[in-house]
Amino acid sequence: MASTTSPTVASAAAVPQRRVEARRLTLGRALIWLAVIIVTLIALFPFIYALTTSFKTQRASYDGTLIPWLQYEPTLANWQAEFGSGGQETMRALTNSATIAIGATIVATALGTLAGWGLGRFKYGIGNRNLVSWFLSQRFLPPIATVIPFVLLFKQLGLIDNVLGLIIANATFTLPFAVLIMRDFFADFPSDLQDAALVDGASQFGVFWRVALPIATPALVAAIIICFAFSWNEFLFASVLALRNAKPYPLMVAGSDTVRGIVFGFVSTRMLIAITLPVVLSLLVQRYIVRGLALGAVKG
Amino acid sequence: MKSRAKYFFLMPGVIWVLVFTLFPLLYSLYLSLTNARLGRETEFIGFQNYINLFSDQKAGEVALFSAWLTIGSVTLTMVFGTFIAWLFNHDIPGLKALRAILTMPLFAAPIAVGYMGVVIFNEQHGPINNIIASLGGTPVSWITAPWPARFAVLITDTWQWTPFVFIVALAAMQGIPDELFEAARLDTSSAWSTFRHITYPLIAPALGTVALLRLVETFKILDVPLTLTGGGPGQASQTYSFYAYLQGLRSPFQQGYASAMAYLVVILCIIISSIYFWRVRARFE
Repeated sequence: MASTTSPTVASAAAVPQRRVEARRLTLGRALIWLAVIIVTLIALFPFIYALTTSFKTQRASYDGTLIPWLQYEPTLANWQAEFGSGGQETMRALTNSATIAIGATIVATALGTLAGWGLGRFKYGIGNRNLVSWFLSQRFLPPIATVIPFVLLFKQLGLIDNVLGLIIANATFTLPFAVLIMRDFFADFPSDLQDAALVDGASQFGVFWRVALPIATPALVAAIIICFAFSWNEFLFASVLALRNAKPYPLMVAGSDTVRGIVFGFVSTRMLIAITLPVVLSLLVQRYIVRGLALGAVKG
Repeated sequence: MKSRAKYFFLMPGVIWVLVFTLFPLLYSLYLSLTNARLGRETEFIGFQNYINLFSDQKAGEVALFSAWLTIGSVTLTMVFGTFIAWLFNHDIPGLKALRAILTMPLFAAPIAVGYMGVVIFNEQHGPINNIIASLGGTPVSWITAPWPARFAVLITDTWQWTPFVFIVALAAMQGIPDELFEAARLDTSSAWSTFRHITYPLIAPALGTVALLRLVETFKILDVPLTLTGGGPGQASQTYSFYAYLQGLRSPFQQGYASAMAYLVVILCIIISSIYFWRVRARFE
């Protein structure tokens, strides 16, 4: 896209320079576009491959071909197996996943937003930074260290193989993210809005509820999506705490290997079912994710 | 009035964490000081587990692999994520749409990605080896040879987590006022120079937080090595947390020892993050 401005006499000498710059700019932009395309393809590749493989017979799944009808005969067999005869188990697992993820998200986001507002707007004796690191430190424990005590605790509370137990567990693990995201957003919240509301007679909670929250939508959405996705995708605790009734979908993915070895089509199908909801959600709320996750960098 | 209200906001979260994390934390500490084992009597043995841990060769090997994986993954994801964010920080049509695709890997369940990795990295029929073969190279033994298996885990983890760095870096970059870029363009036309002197310092706090989060998280990975390579061949791609998991929840069900393993990581993470928060981050605030 060369510059199409018609040169005046005065800038005749400047024209070649501008054209060169425009060309350099275009070359740079083209290179960037190329890099973007390559990166996008790399990001997409496993998903596309899973999609095509899920429609292949086992024999065809070994070929590494990509285009249906042209290179291989697509089949619905894998999908029918998943939703047909095995359908009930699949639906039950998906329902469990949804219940657990929604429950955990509500708890984590509610607690995290409250704490985030507190940590972002007020000063605490112990030190705000210390408190934030304390919240973050919950993520330090390797799973094995929390699994065993959780099993014991939940056994006492009768929460083994119960979605409530998994809701509690996932809320606990995703709470640090909610705190971090909301706190960073609230830290940049303009004080004048807060002060104005207080002058008008609002309570502290009123300021939070009616002034801050509505503006915090981007960060809130980012926090919700992250908590939801992490809870939906969680595997280890589910494998230990859910035995029969509360099995979420990741456990079904784990069961995709058969005696004969991995059936590619089947694995692909399960993988796609497992990832669809969080991924689709992430696409829908895309603009909030980037806006909500600055994590403490410079804000203009 | 104000001083009371602020506790109201903080308390619910703190109480939750205390109830559901303090107990497991303390209980694992207790367990780590015993020889707890499923089906046997538990005895207090003090620091014996920790002493044994230091002479456990297997533990040393998995720790080394975890360290390698962590450093590798954090470095790669930070570099790629920041670079891709820089790419997307330009005013070029169509980027917004593609941005959504870039964030997809982050939201896919690691366990699902691991299983898909089994298909993709499959030595005979997987697409990666197919592509390598069609380009004339020799297929790599992704699952049956130790170093390729380790790289398979590294590649998978990097693929999955680069979007996280990308999102944060991009959000940080887009928060930089345009005037700074204008001013920079007057001084230099080098993109690298602009990045180095303007962009990077301003996004550094966010990158720092991300690096810390990644560091801590990567040391815990379990889902991907479990499904992709099963820790194999042998133990080559077994992470530290994976090994602890096997010790505690699979034979020999040594919960005391596994807890000790886990606690070492906790201490390590506390040290690292303390250093980060007090020395590094303080500079930016």
